[in-house]
Amino acid sequence: MEFVTAIVSSAYQFGDAFAFLVLSACGLAVIFGMMGVINLAHGEFIMCGAYMTVFAVNWGLPLPLAIVCGSLFAGLVGMVIERLVVRRLYSRPLDSILATWGVSLIASQGTLILFGPTMRGVGTPLGSFTVGALSFSYYRLVLMATALAVLALLYLVFTKTRFGVLARATIQAPHMANALGVDTGRIYAYTFGIGAALAGLTGGIYAPTMTMIPTMGTTFIMEAFVTVVVGGADVFLGTAPAAALLAVVKASLTSWQGQLAGQIGLLLAVIVVIRLLPKGITGFILKDRA
Amino acid sequence: MIVSRFLKRLEGPQTMGKGPLFWTAFAVVLAAALAYPLFADGYDVGNNIYFLNWTFMALGLSLIWGYGGSLSFGQTAFFGVAGYSYGILTINFGTAYGFGLVSVVIAIAIAALFAAILGYFLFFGRISGIFLGIVTLSVTLALERFMAQTAGPEWKVGAARLNGFNGMSGMPALTLPWFGGEISLYPDIGLYYLVLGLLVVVYLGLRILVNSRFGNVLVALRENPQRAEMLGYDIRKYQLATFVIGAALAGLSGVLYTSWGQYITPSSMGITSAALPIIWVAVGGRSDLTATLIGTLVVLSVFQALTIYGSQYALVVMGLLLVGTVLLAPRGLIANAGLLVGTLFSRRNGSK
Amino acid sequence: MTVRLLQATMLTCAFALSGAAHAADPIKIGVLEDQSGDFAAATIGKVHAIELAAEEINNAGGIAGRPIELVVYDTQSDNNRYQEFMRRVLQRDKVDVVFAGFSSASREAYRPIVNQFDGLAFYNNQYEGGVCDANMIVTGAVPEQQFSTLIPWMMETYGKRVYTIAADYNFGQISAEWVRDIVKESGGEMVGEEFIPLGVSQFSQTIQNIQTAKPDFVVTLLVGAAQASYYEQAASANLGLPMASSVNVGQGYEHKRFTPPSLANMYVTTNYIEEVDTPASKAFLEKFHAKYPNEPYVNQEAANSYIAMNLYKQMVERAGGSTKRDDLRAELAKGDVCFDGPSGNVCLDPKSQHMSHTIFLAKVGDDHAISFPKVWEDIKPYWLGDAGCDLTQADPDEQYTPSNPPTKQ
Repeated sequence: MEFVTAIVSSAYQFGDAFAFLVLSACGLAVIFGMMGVINLAHGEFIMCGAYMTVFAVNWGLPLPLAIVCGSLFAGLVGMVIERLVVRRLYSRPLDSILATWGVSLIASQGTLILFGPTMRGVGTPLGSFTVGALSFSYYRLVLMATALAVLALLYLVFTKTRFGVLARATIQAPHMANALGVDTGRIYAYTFGIGAALAGLTGGIYAPTMTMIPTMGTTFIMEAFVTVVVGGADVFLGTAPAAALLAVVKASLTSWQGQLAGQIGLLLAVIVVIRLLPKGITGFILKDRA
Repeated sequence: MIVSRFLKRLEGPQTMGKGPLFWTAFAVVLAAALAYPLFADGYDVGNNIYFLNWTFMALGLSLIWGYGGSLSFGQTAFFGVAGYSYGILTINFGTAYGFGLVSVVIAIAIAALFAAILGYFLFFGRISGIFLGIVTLSVTLALERFMAQTAGPEWKVGAARLNGFNGMSGMPALTLPWFGGEISLYPDIGLYYLVLGLLVVVYLGLRILVNSRFGNVLVALRENPQRAEMLGYDIRKYQLATFVIGAALAGLSGVLYTSWGQYITPSSMGITSAALPIIWVAVGGRSDLTATLIGTLVVLSVFQALTIYGSQYALVVMGLLLVGTVLLAPRGLIANAGLLVGTLFSRRNGSK
Repeated sequence: MTVRLLQATMLTCAFALSGAAHAADPIKIGVLEDQSGDFAAATIGKVHAIELAAEEINNAGGIAGRPIELVVYDTQSDNNRYQEFMRRVLQRDKVDVVFAGFSSASREAYRPIVNQFDGLAFYNNQYEGGVCDANMIVTGAVPEQQFSTLIPWMMETYGKRVYTIAADYNFGQISAEWVRDIVKESGGEMVGEEFIPLGVSQFSQTIQNIQTAKPDFVVTLLVGAAQASYYEQAASANLGLPMASSVNVGQGYEHKRFTPPSLANMYVTTNYIEEVDTPASKAFLEKFHAKYPNEPYVNQEAANSYIAMNLYKQMVERAGGSTKRDDLRAELAKGDVCFDGPSGNVCLDPKSQHMSHTIFLAKVGDDHAISFPKVWEDIKPYWLGDAGCDLTQADPDEQYTPSNPPTKQ
């Protein structure tokens, strides 16, 4: 029984870390990995989705619907920001840092001014289950399932649907796509919107487990950037294996030496990976293929 | 004639501002800065020293990013390393026999050494572009995380406790040896002149550097690294040298800040602090030293004034300023203003 | 909220100015608090409490006939701002006293500047203890007041096996040290200790570690909004253990912000929370809500700030209207500067310039209602004096900890 408990708990901790990394990174992976825009406002999109979800629950919607609501709202906000600010910055990645940093300042301070420094959250649904001497929360399993579903969904959308193929074509060779009659402006807007909506989904789904303050997005940022950088440009080839690798690093370091070791371990992992694989895991895999 | 030869070395294609008009304006501004303490009260002098302290870091970043093309978030890491080194050295050994000054030099050297090791790893490993930024940011954050938990009594170097998140204090102010004793420079007129003098020396020195052969190669490798390499230059050495010089300047900022406030804390290496130099340099105009210098001072004063008078809205206005700069004046607000002024004057001077 | 703040500040200033028209020149009080940024939730109430006290005192004729003028700066939860504005407030605005600081880092950032200008500052926050500095008067609670009451009570009630999770920086580490020492003295056993870096919000591994160690209760010393997510996650994993804390509920009113029953069975020692229902507390709350009807919560820091204003008034008036630091310290040294405030009678201790407190043990119920199983009267801040800090004799300007006490002469 002890052995079973140990297996279950290790798998649980790995899955929990994996889910956190994937969900933090997926929105950023679409925006940075696919579009090359460094989005320092990623945390604020997460916060946007979380706040909207809580509002929706307070208006009476059931939680799953509220999360969808939060995600869509974040996506809409993302499309507006893309139209106003990001559109002119596609060829200037370093300038996108500044612009999105400015957006993040406006968003988090604006939320503080409008809604105050803190907001009452919603409780975590679904109870707990026990294995041996340990008890676990069902909702964390929902998080893990969502992470896998998001990865699968992204893969399907971007490889099997017409929109997905057009989006990838536009991003890889915009002039060709334009010449072939694709409305590149709209593709950019939708792709950015998808990235923002994914961030909003993360916010909405983690909202029941966290404190609601305007700067709540900052706790996801480090993990998001680390995963995206280690993964490289391709969302499917890179993000999933990167998240798996980093989840192993983080979970094992945290259980061995504590949370600080886990955090520093992640940062060191980034440095090592970039030194060995300058283009991330994607570059490694694609180079092999070619 | 020596003056004109000297002036020629200060001018070149890499810096804005040339000719007798510019240098007269420079002399006027310098004279005003020298006379300033006679008219201003103690608070303003101390506050301006605080602003001037940050300019060295900004100039270093301008060198690394604006001229060298490498976006580095690491300036704050070197700032912190030098600040803590200065604190550890002066708390342990005091400032007698001119050691106050020696510890400044040693602290900057430690930061430069750290930069050399990191830079070797980065540039000889062919890391560039945004990945360079991310690695330097990771190093800065890892350092901050590590320092923030050094609160226990076992974390000390000699007599100096690192003291974790609460920060290290108790180090003496900047002390110069003098005949018959030493002068402790608290934030007042003496320190003001010292920092101003340092700034003038560094500014002119950097101008000479970027307008020399070194600067030409630097700009060439910023524009097109492969072409520079094919012309026979080992760009890694140039990038490393630039990185170390920029880091030394950041270290100077760190030492000055620590001795100004007699305090250094890991949050000086946090993510917000790491982004601030990028913001000053970008809003000022990263490709030009003069624009960076003016821009940094302007942004710092404006942000402080906004915080004092604008209370909660200060951060919102800062965000709008950033977005506006990027969209409307991407080369930097001050740089664009400088270009405008330049075109005005050249038209006046009668171009064909 | 900011409009209200601006209005309140302007009203106070206007009142002070009108007072100045026919009275002596005003006493300037600097206020450096984080009204934006990470710490805003717990500190906006402090500014409001100071304004309430200023208005009350001015209505009653001011301090020694002089009206109070508040000079307020928003330090944005940024240590650099504390340095900048402390210089400004002491050098340019030339205030007579400053009420400043939330985090310990901010206090340590501004202390050298207060010392350089020989000013006087009130630190009205609970913290890890140990500041022995003649330029500081500390009204916040310190570990010996909160833990020497809490831990023995918990051990008597629940058992002797203790697990601590603490924020991984000075406050958390020093508080954990205190808990460790008290547990040992009371014959208990530390079955585990975990330090969490600031900003971490995911606690699955921590929860598992706690379950494996099987403690009787958990001491939670978590700081910041991200770390407070622990309570929600522990409740959803059905951890079910009683919790003890010195820092949550009393400062960040988590019991109002989180859905029940995530904080059920939590015990907190605090020197004040708005649920205290003594007549003095009720009167204080009435006044507070009359001026600020939408105040989310009146926490212990707000009460401390209010008390501090009144203590300052008392000291100045006893010193014959002088605001010179040495005159005020002479009054302090007499040992009987006390005030009957929202939490009862509190006094300033001459050796350490800290404040004695009534300590309330607050229990959070299943529906997050608060009850008070025990109250300790007049707990003195004894540790600094016992350890060798005596500000009536010498001014070391240091911060000490149990493992780094003052060197005995």
